[in-house]
Amino acid sequence: MNIETRLAWRNVWRNPRRTALSVAATVFALVLVIFSISMADGSHEKMIEDAVRLSSGHVAVSGKGYRHSMTLEQFVPWDGRVEAAIEKADSVRAWAPRISSFALVSLGDRSHGSMVIGVDPEREAGVTKFVSRVNEGRFVDQNPGPGVREVVLGRKLAERLGAAIGDEILLYGVAYSLETAYELFEVVGTMALPDPRLERNLTIVHLDVASEFYVYEDRITEVAILADSAGNAAALRTELESVFAGPLGDELELQDYEEMMPGLVQLILIDDAGMYIMLAILVVVVGFGILNTILMAILERTRELGVILALGLKPIALFRMVYLESMMLAGVGLAIGLLIALPPLAWLNGMEFPLGGDLAQATEIFGMEPVLTFKLIPSNPIFSTLTIVVVALLAALYPALKASRAHPVDALRSL
Amino acid sequence: MLFRMAWRNLWRNPRRTAVVLTAISVGIAGCVLSMAINLGVMTGMIDTAIRSGLGHIQIHADGWDDNPELEVRLTEGEVPFASALDSIPEVRRWAPRLQAQGLVASARASVGVSIVGVDPERERGVSVAADSIDEGEWLGEPKRLVLGYKLASRLEAEIGTKLVISAQDLGGELTGQAYRVAGIIRASSRDLDDGLVFLRLEDAQSLFGMGNAISEVVIVTEDRERVGLIQQKLQSSLASGSEVRTWEQLEPLLVYMVQSFDSMAWIMYAAVFIAMAFGIANVLLMAVFERTREIGMMRAVGMSRVRVVAMVVLESTLVTMIGLGLGVGLGLVGVWLLRDGIDISTWAGSLDDYGIESVLKPSMRPRDMIAPLLIGALTAILSSFWPALRAGLAKPADALRRI
Amino acid sequence: MIARLPGNTAPAVVFALFLLLGPTPSVASIETDLSLEPAPDGIDAGELARKAENNMRSERTYIAAKMTVESPRLSRARVVAFHSWENSPEKKSLIRIDAPAKDKGTGFLKLHPNLWMYVPRVERTVRVPPSMMLQSWMGSDFSNDDLVRESSEIEDYEHRLLGFDPGTNGNVDRPAYVVEYKPNEDAAVVWGSIVGWLDVETGAPLRQDFFDEDGERMRVMRFSDFKTIGKRHVPHLWSMTPLDKPGHSTSIEVTEIRYDADFDSDIFTTRNLKRRD
Repeated sequence: MNIETRLAWRNVWRNPRRTALSVAATVFALVLVIFSISMADGSHEKMIEDAVRLSSGHVAVSGKGYRHSMTLEQFVPWDGRVEAAIEKADSVRAWAPRISSFALVSLGDRSHGSMVIGVDPEREAGVTKFVSRVNEGRFVDQNPGPGVREVVLGRKLAERLGAAIGDEILLYGVAYSLETAYELFEVVGTMALPDPRLERNLTIVHLDVASEFYVYEDRITEVAILADSAGNAAALRTELESVFAGPLGDELELQDYEEMMPGLVQLILIDDAGMYIMLAILVVVVGFGILNTILMAILERTRELGVILALGLKPIALFRMVYLESMMLAGVGLAIGLLIALPPLAWLNGMEFPLGGDLAQATEIFGMEPVLTFKLIPSNPIFSTLTIVVVALLAALYPALKASRAHPVDALRSL
Repeated sequence: MLFRMAWRNLWRNPRRTAVVLTAISVGIAGCVLSMAINLGVMTGMIDTAIRSGLGHIQIHADGWDDNPELEVRLTEGEVPFASALDSIPEVRRWAPRLQAQGLVASARASVGVSIVGVDPERERGVSVAADSIDEGEWLGEPKRLVLGYKLASRLEAEIGTKLVISAQDLGGELTGQAYRVAGIIRASSRDLDDGLVFLRLEDAQSLFGMGNAISEVVIVTEDRERVGLIQQKLQSSLASGSEVRTWEQLEPLLVYMVQSFDSMAWIMYAAVFIAMAFGIANVLLMAVFERTREIGMMRAVGMSRVRVVAMVVLESTLVTMIGLGLGVGLGLVGVWLLRDGIDISTWAGSLDDYGIESVLKPSMRPRDMIAPLLIGALTAILSSFWPALRAGLAKPADALRRI
Repeated sequence: MIARLPGNTAPAVVFALFLLLGPTPSVASIETDLSLEPAPDGIDAGELARKAENNMRSERTYIAAKMTVESPRLSRARVVAFHSWENSPEKKSLIRIDAPAKDKGTGFLKLHPNLWMYVPRVERTVRVPPSMMLQSWMGSDFSNDDLVRESSEIEDYEHRLLGFDPGTNGNVDRPAYVVEYKPNEDAAVVWGSIVGWLDVETGAPLRQDFFDEDGERMRVMRFSDFKTIGKRHVPHLWSMTPLDKPGHSTSIEVTEIRYDADFDSDIFTTRNLKRRD
């Protein structure tokens, strides 16, 4: 360690109490920033996960034009090619084929329009949470026997129809061939869903039964894919796009959750923006704290600095030394802060803590599960640390300038 | 006396005091501004919802909550809502509506929609639909309809296009009628832009075979605070046969947001002030050490410990309060400068779905000042704790020795 | 629930009469587009329309027919055989499907303005809701709404004689009067207008073109294979081509038709609908 560094370090600890307070402020700010960001990241990831796991996953493969028209006319040919391509891709956590269309559901003289999704129960459970949301009865059977047609309704839909487990309801729609599709189904379960609109409109049947009902043969309307994290969704989609290049790709269309749910993404953006503003204010306040500490340190050493300058130390060296001091001050705070914040977060990463009471009710209104979760991504501590470093750099500017501009004569005169 | 001393002490080292004041005022100003914007967004969401058709209070026939169908209807004869409403002075404006489901078809496409039969003039007073006409005009002549621009584009309909609405009427019979497009709405509301078709109330009543019955009454008042009062009066004068609900009961999500805003504000101010406290304490500590000799002298001359402590606390309080005042002032200036709103429409187009407008206007209430003031005072006292203690505990002899 | 349904809106009158009345914006252009010659004086468009109407149906009509549907979605053409009874003054009709086997026994009962459907396979009768009315009937290019729509909407339309078609310019193969039908303002019909070619000699319809309000041609119905039954000249082949759906066409081949038939009004009940005959 050279002399400058050693001097700077000693200067920092010249007034231990003052340094300690400044360091404490930095630690407080850093820990708060890291924890806040990780709580926000956690809750946003959860929001996305909850949302995609009750719709079409992170990435969806469908026929070109399907998202716009939502008719059976645009389909995904289900002859093994698409399946093979998906299996080859990285970062696919799970995937599930679906046939999704409109039908009228009726019991007695009550009938309601509904969105019907034909699923493969095992695969579907890996991608979405519909299976775990069954609140009465059970989900559709994985291997329905011939002629067995089971249906699971959203709870509110069942209520509106007055349907109970075991009732026989009629599904009435339009098949791919444009003929009328008309079949009886047995209600085997109902699902409780956080989104009331979905709960009023959703009907789930087995994939094979839907294929028969809509006379779809070897076609499906979409493949819902769950990536291993929301962050990888875009990359997964790009990878799949290149895998599907060629004539197959021309028939298909890929969308990630950002395209399917832009409102959600923007809500998260706004939430983040609000939080970052608050954290910025916090960091600025801490910056002023550092500024003040260094400034006071400089001012009380006016005589000493004057002597040093008179002895021939160049102003630039003095500037550097002050900067070094403030970097060390910030550095100590950052180091301690990271030590306090990172280990617990690393342990908490990904854990879910159930919320209780009012807070739980409130999150459910938003359609989310009532849990508190943290997520630690590397950019978090890196970004937070860098921010404080930048602020410290800026804060030290004034005192360093003041110090380097000190006049030896004036300084000595204050003796 | 003590006050004057504290005040002079503050300005003994103007640069240091200035830095502390800057820190405090910038921090507070930032908080005030961001809280104001946040509140503005939230209030905006609520206002948008209320003006897009929610209103402040809605009256329905009993059973509407569970079963929002045509049969659950209000007739003036059974439920004298008109006379009840006219007798409540706080009710500014009200409008009757018919709500039903149906299919609207053009030569090119057909879409399932919600049909709203309204009294054109009364509806103007309770929702922005009439004012959001982008092309054409609001309802006037019979056999006309008004729809949102997204819906119009799906049907490939323009002003004057003939659309046919088919539905099931009150008796369950299939009914259909043609209407020409009178106006197209453009509002930042998913319902208004895409899901609703407006008809004149009489046209809707005849289409659905409802006679003089309606589905709901929407009420708007000047002052949101009066809503509870109006609800009570209505409930007592309408006795039975109807459900009277406020916007809070109809859309609990909005209420939750406002509640969470308050707790969020407290947490934010607390965090910022804690960070500030370290800085203030540091400065005060410095000041106390510098004045060791002086304090020693004061003590030697007879000033009690308590008064010394009080003086330090006073200094802290003064600097904090001045900073607070400056900060709040700065924040208010910021709010005033941004009073026309921040336009985020370029990169936030899909927020319509959540009812957030693309221009964020900050908004403030007097009670929003309570949190910063209280926390500020607390910070001032707490951050002065240690320095004051040190000042008070100093022995006169030790202090004088430092000369 | 917002359902996006295909644009199969065809509120035309089934089994003939498609009369749309009203001023079409592109009136002048239709005449020139179709290369029509001016019609002789003294012809009343309304009269022509009424004559065409009476030529197609009687108060009680029985029809047995075979409908062939072609579309890119079907690997081979779909053939549906059915028979129907209609009582036009009472606006009632009953249709029974005879083939293919999986649809045999399916019935449709129209009691204006409602339509009921019975499917024997599931033994259920359902009143067709508004959202389904615009869906295809039996997989064809006709919609359920077409079935229900009144066949004799002379009252709902205004007729205007557009001109005379010599039968040599490709529209039809026989000389015909061309009449424009425009729906009244009140009529719950989305078409802008229909143009009908009526045979000069027999008065029977030869062709009908449906236009939307902007004057764009949406579908074309052609009538051919005329046979004389009593005083009527009845086309036994009706074929419909929707112009917005390439590769689609529906044609109905009449195998038997009886006018002023003898049947009871009590066949038009939902109870009768459930019987399989």
